Amino acid sequence: MVLDGPAFDRAYREYAPRLRSVAFAVLHDRDGAEDAVHGALMRVWGGGTYRAERGALLPFLIACVRREALDALRGSKRRHLREVRASAGDPLAFDDTAALDPLEARRVRAALETLPAEQRDVILRAYYGHRTLAEVAQDTGVPLGTVKSRLAAALRRLHSTLSEGPR
Amino acid sequence: MNHLDDDAELYALGLTERERDAEIEAHLAECGDCRARVIAAEEAAASLAAALPAAPADAKRSDAVPARAATVRRAWWPSLAAAAAVVFGVTAAAEGVIAQSASAQLARTDVALTAIASSHFGHTTLTSDPGVIAKALYARDGAWCYVVATGAPRGAHVIVHRGAAARDLGALDAGAPATLFVRDPGRPDSIEVVADGRAVAHGKPAF
Repeated sequence: MVLDGPAFDRAYREYAPRLRSVAFAVLHDRDGAEDAVHGALMRVWGGGTYRAERGALLPFLIACVRREALDALRGSKRRHLREVRASAGDPLAFDDTAALDPLEARRVRAALETLPAEQRDVILRAYYGHRTLAEVAQDTGVPLGTVKSRLAAALRRLHSTLSEGPR
Repeated sequence: MNHLDDDAELYALGLTERERDAEIEAHLAECGDCRARVIAAEEAAASLAAALPAAPADAKRSDAVPARAATVRRAWWPSLAAAAAVVFGVTAAAEGVIAQSASAQLARTDVALTAIASSHFGHTTLTSDPGVIAKALYARDGAWCYVVATGAPRGAHVIVHRGAAARDLGALDAGAPATLFVRDPGRPDSIEVVADGRAVAHGKPAF
């Protein structure tokens, strides 16, 4: 394997901010976010489990980090934080003005606007509001099975819209 | 196992039950159709993530971590996270620049990261003097070794031992954190960071 020191450094440093923002969005806690990123990376890299046929690396890592962060959120230690946030009620707003990647955020906003209202709503609640599926069902009075199928359909539709649209 | 259906998208969002994830991953290893579906869903989820705000920068976690702060942090962080923080040690200012040009740079480093991600490597936090945090990452096949340290005396060398033989891999650079990347270090029994004839950090890799 060909890999030099500077490439190694650069690799870490260029992915870290984006992965950290994914974890922070879930946990709203800087140190917790840092731990989630490290945990996910060490698990993937230490195990050597990633293979090229599993798709591009960044989306794969983002999914791993989000799972790790959601697990941390579910842990009892941070459950009270979740309750505080849930009771405060996260706004269902999509704010692209502070986005880590403003260009991509604008594309995402445009794609979200093409979704049927009920699909957009479930993305905002489940992804940007970090509600569990059961909470989304409870908040909206929609059956859990319908929440799941709507969210899955919304993500499929987003993917096809984003991969067709101008980059 | 049946195909994943909607679970493909829910898995990409981290919203499947963890008890089911092992099953899903086993299925993905065998089923190209479901793999393609998860990959597409993860790409869409990555786009959603691009619209998230940057995590706030941590002023404490700058390159110039005072020895005392570093020691305190080590006490309450999980040791792995503390050591990894050294590897991740990026100043807040640098992160801002990186975030702005993230998209452009990501494609370039994908090759390097893919190489890292698909190779088997281990990592060990070295037992250090107070004020020193050091970590070694190493390919399990002995192809490379990467040592990262903060707080080590300038010009400290990395020495590896195998049996009775010691080998000097060279000096850590002057960066913050100080690093040394070496090809073909073999698979040593122990790794030391040595300054003025004394080990300021030492540990054993587990190949």
